[in-house]
Amino acid sequence: MIKRSPVLALTLSVLLVAATVFVAGAQEKPRYGGILNWYVYGDPGRLDIHAESPLSVQQALAGIYSGLLQADPDDPTKIAHDLAERWTASPDGKTYTFHLRKGVKWHDGQPFSSADVKASFDRVLNPSFKSPRCGSMLKPMVASVEVVDPHTVQFNLKFPAAPFIPSMASAWCRVVAKHVLDKHGDLVKPEAQIGTGPFKFKRYERGNVIEWEKNKDYFVKGLPYLDGVKQFILVGVPTQVAAAKAGRIHLWDTWPPLRKTEADELLRARGDQIEITQNSIATIALVYMHTQKPPFNNPDIRRAVNLAIDRQELVAKAFEGAGVACALLDPKLYGDFALPLDEVQKLPGCRQPKDQDIAEAKRLVEKHHPNGVDIEAAVRSVGGYVDRAQLILAQLRKIGIRGTLKTFESAAGFAVYGKGDFTFITIQDRAMVTTDPSDMFALMYTTGAGSNWGKWSDPKVDELAGRALRETNRDKRKQIYLELQRHILTAPVSAVPVAWVEGFHYKDKRVRGHKWATTVYDNNTFMKVWLAQ
Amino acid sequence: MPEVADRARVALGARHREARALAGRAQRARALARQLARFVVLQPLGAIGAVIVLALIVTAILAPQLAPHGAKDAAFAPYLPPSAEFPMGTDNIGRDVLSRVIWGARLSLYVGLVSVAFGITLGALWGVVAAYFGGAADSVSQRLVDMLMALPPIILALSLMAALGQSVNNVIIALALLLIPTAARTLRSVALSIKETPYVEAARASGCSHWRVIFLHVLPNTFATYVVLFTVNIAYAIVVEAALSFLGLGAPPDEPSWGGMLTAGTQAMETAPWMIFFPGLAISLTVFGLNLLGDAIRDLTDPRLRGGLG
Repeated sequence: MIKRSPVLALTLSVLLVAATVFVAGAQEKPRYGGILNWYVYGDPGRLDIHAESPLSVQQALAGIYSGLLQADPDDPTKIAHDLAERWTASPDGKTYTFHLRKGVKWHDGQPFSSADVKASFDRVLNPSFKSPRCGSMLKPMVASVEVVDPHTVQFNLKFPAAPFIPSMASAWCRVVAKHVLDKHGDLVKPEAQIGTGPFKFKRYERGNVIEWEKNKDYFVKGLPYLDGVKQFILVGVPTQVAAAKAGRIHLWDTWPPLRKTEADELLRARGDQIEITQNSIATIALVYMHTQKPPFNNPDIRRAVNLAIDRQELVAKAFEGAGVACALLDPKLYGDFALPLDEVQKLPGCRQPKDQDIAEAKRLVEKHHPNGVDIEAAVRSVGGYVDRAQLILAQLRKIGIRGTLKTFESAAGFAVYGKGDFTFITIQDRAMVTTDPSDMFALMYTTGAGSNWGKWSDPKVDELAGRALRETNRDKRKQIYLELQRHILTAPVSAVPVAWVEGFHYKDKRVRGHKWATTVYDNNTFMKVWLAQ
Repeated sequence: MPEVADRARVALGARHREARALAGRAQRARALARQLARFVVLQPLGAIGAVIVLALIVTAILAPQLAPHGAKDAAFAPYLPPSAEFPMGTDNIGRDVLSRVIWGARLSLYVGLVSVAFGITLGALWGVVAAYFGGAADSVSQRLVDMLMALPPIILALSLMAALGQSVNNVIIALALLLIPTAARTLRSVALSIKETPYVEAARASGCSHWRVIFLHVLPNTFATYVVLFTVNIAYAIVVEAALSFLGLGAPPDEPSWGGMLTAGTQAMETAPWMIFFPGLAISLTVFGLNLLGDAIRDLTDPRLRGGLG
């Protein structure tokens, strides 16, 4: 006879209850319907996903288009198929063949085929077409795109390149409709936003809202769950925080992340209804100097600025401690590809205390401008840029550079930067498209790179970045990137790395099926997101 | 000897003149004191306003001596609450709020005075010239004033700032343009009645040119109205400047503008309420003081109201 034990009975009961709860939780059935409220920090303006670089553009179109590949919605650190059912690589790593899904329709009912893929990537790879994100990444690697049959497409690479697949999965390398390109010429206007994604583009009311509605013919049967997504255009952190506190926003997962003070305020107001998480968003804050305009056409003055900026003070005050100062590649994101922080923090410009660097910077400025120099300091008036800019100007005044702030609306600022109509960009964040180390150099530092707004050109950087791209041996590749970082961190660059941005994101507890992504661009199609009652 | 006598006479004369001048100065000082005392008795609220405005002017002039730190020096820890070291706390990037409020007085007064001086003076000239010549020129110019007045002032100011770009001097231009139509309309009505007075007719009859009549006979007689408009509109200009800066289209963000400080304060209203309280208080006090003083001056110069200084 088995002796009854109260302890055993209690343990079994607890296990039984826990198992029931676990199974019920795991099998929670997604609910259809509802509108998810999200926001965007500014007006996107021009909506061409291939020709623009602001996050606001990517956000506006995130659920509209599909790529051949994508960040896996269930685990965004992995790459999953999207319009491509599967892909194969040739043994020499120079040819990739993508087998496309069949029966996919564009939002206007037209059938999707490999001709659309070719038209999209021919556009992005066209040397005379400015494509600051997808083009900047793919142009150095891809030689041509060929249609094999209506459902097969082949990419021929110039050399075997490790970043090719991550770049293809990026949110900027989306496939657009050939017939729409033929009709509109570009994808700037709302009416040209015809995709194959889980949502259709419904409405863009400037300064107010961007709306998507459910694509009932989405190629993944049963998805999406939501009826639509609304992105309110909320300029200015106080407005964003107020909207969050009032419960108008379900989810915040991109840029700008909240600072600690704001996260604490939100937690006090709605702590019982939301989850707050501290995230790294694969975004670096930079100061830009135009290398072809005085006074920054003088490498000494650029060097002086590099020495004078107190990155640690900026992180402590403007980022409220959430950031990684000085690094060109953040070790948290890039592992051993990143120069160790110990080494970075000993370099001129980053080392503390600042006295020695400030004295040297002052000497450099005085050598060329005995009475100091006045500059116009541009800044986009979104996120926390204006606060950060004021701190940077206070730091530069110590070495005789007197800046007057000139603020720009979000899209207007990007237009000015892209055209090179500036002398000094006081602060600007640039988000990485993938977490491959090549991104940083392809986007910011090589000659003619998409965000090399200060038009810096250094043959050594071009040579090293090109060599790293071609290198298939991981260790050798790592060594090249370490050398590249050491070189850039001590060179009179145009774009001075200030810090990697971190901060706080929040999610209403009713939001299900959402996973935090590594970059701000990934996993925001909301295809698997649903709202619980 | 006669030379000695002459020198003595001269010395005596000089002493007499000095004594007379002293007596005159004392008399004038006594008269001024009497006038001031009378002003305080007749307009106690105006006197309070005058004290506030005087304090503002002194603060603005002595800002470099009074402010404990630079207005743009972000040298301290952010969000420090008011304490003995920082009586008004520090802001979001570690600047001393007291120093910024003090330097802000200089900026507000500078913007207020210069924009009103330009706006009201140009408006006055416009109004007086239009009234004097009358006819088609007056009609056209008044329709132009109507058009300017039909636009909501803050929208007009915002559009001008968006077109001109952010700087303190552009704020002054925008504010001056806002003030011109009001001044033109008001001074025109005053000039219309002055134009019909016998002394203006006499001046014209004696062959004075139009411009001589305008500048020597009409314009000086609109002075009382001009002074009232001037005082009242400084407060208006300061508030509009603060509003423009609050909306991000006024002075550049690092300039110590009270309105700009309010904007920065909205980021952390719960964490650091002192960031909006003190600049807000400064704006309210200044506008309160200027309005009290403006009302008092209006009362004193308006013959229809009792209590003029006579």
